[in-house]
Amino acid sequence: MVGEDLVVAASGPILDAAGMKALGAALAITITGLASAWAEKEIGTAAIGAMAENEGLFGKGLILTVIPETIVIFGLVASLLINSA
Amino acid sequence: MDKIWGKKPRKSDKKKKGTSNYAYAVTRVRAMKSKLLPKETYPRLMNMGIDEITRFIQESEYKNDIDELAMKYSGADLAEHALNRNLALTYAKLLLITAGEPNYLISEYLRRYDIWNIKTLLRGKQYNASEEEILETLISAGELTYTTLSELAAMESYEEIIEALNETDYYPLLQEEYDGTNLAYIENELDKMYYSGLFGVIGKPRSKDRKLFARFIKLEVDAKNMGTLFRLKKAGVEQLDEIMPLMIEGGLELNTEKLASLPYEEFVEALRKTRYWDAISGVMVPDMDSLTGLECRLLKFSLESATTYSHVSPISIVPIMDYIIYKNNEVNNLRIIFRGKEAGLEDELIKDQLVVI
Repeated sequence: MVGEDLVVAASGPILDAAGMKALGAALAITITGLASAWAEKEIGTAAIGAMAENEGLFGKGLILTVIPETIVIFGLVASLLINSA
Repeated sequence: MDKIWGKKPRKSDKKKKGTSNYAYAVTRVRAMKSKLLPKETYPRLMNMGIDEITRFIQESEYKNDIDELAMKYSGADLAEHALNRNLALTYAKLLLITAGEPNYLISEYLRRYDIWNIKTLLRGKQYNASEEEILETLISAGELTYTTLSELAAMESYEEIIEALNETDYYPLLQEEYDGTNLAYIENELDKMYYSGLFGVIGKPRSKDRKLFARFIKLEVDAKNMGTLFRLKKAGVEQLDEIMPLMIEGGLELNTEKLASLPYEEFVEALRKTRYWDAISGVMVPDMDSLTGLECRLLKFSLESATTYSHVSPISIVPIMDYIIYKNNEVNNLRIIFRGKEAGLEDELIKDQLVVI
């Protein structure tokens, strides 16, 4: 595997194929998790701002706040696919 | 008095503090803007009497202000006090919901109300207005609190007022220059001081925020200078050394020195090449006898351009500034209607003074 060539150290490979897969899956979930957290923070504060003035916006605000959750769900799916491959 | 003023701001206070959190502030301000009176309301208000209008706005954002002041005042006075109180509280709220850079820029912008209040106090004392009359026009949206302003309004003479202002930045100017008669000069100097202070705060704008804020202020300076130039040209003043001291530096597009030296017709011709022409061309008739139309058009232009820019830069200081001037405009419109109705002016005359968008 290409990965094996890349990570070969003087004393032998640090990560084998299974390790690379696990790292890839971890990165997929970590990065998407951080991305959704950042997006939800922005939308959440905006929603709170709007709700402070108009309570009727609670429903819309809630829906908009959770939309970026899809990013981390895609990340989860990607990491599961990597693991099962 | 020291207790009221509190501590003098330290230099470090002027630096950006905390995070700006624009998403929260801008959305909240936009929600606040949606509560302003829509333009369809004004024709309805024109058909009402003073008490009916008071009742109408009592059902809107002005409820608390009218409820609290109704014991003390009535009629147009009640409305005037309620409007001023509401404006001051709304601006105070803006300072509470913002942090960091926007908070700092807004608080500096709101210093205009300190200038407004000082001018009102001095003018009131010069013309021997009663304490109550002075209080009616004070707007405590700046650094000077309503309590401080009430104390100042209760003072006997302008000397006492100036002495009481000794902790402020305006004291040296007032102390050295004001002799009780040169109010027009002092008012102009205070305006210049305000704008030079504001440009000093912005500095050489590097951040997008400060650039937009600077543009906003420059547009305002141009509108002010244009109004002054029209007034002076109409009055036949053409001497450069008489006009230039009245000009505020730092406008966006108008070259005041060049425009000041031109006779009236050429001055109007020169304005054709500016971005303001489309806005003001409608009132540019040869025998223009009143500047109200022009001032309304310029205000409308600045309101419209603020809205346009707030759409171009949605997450910035602009939507907040946009709200500040819209709120001020709403209060002005309501005040015009109240005072116009009280004085028995014709509806058409009142309508001409309103700036409705």
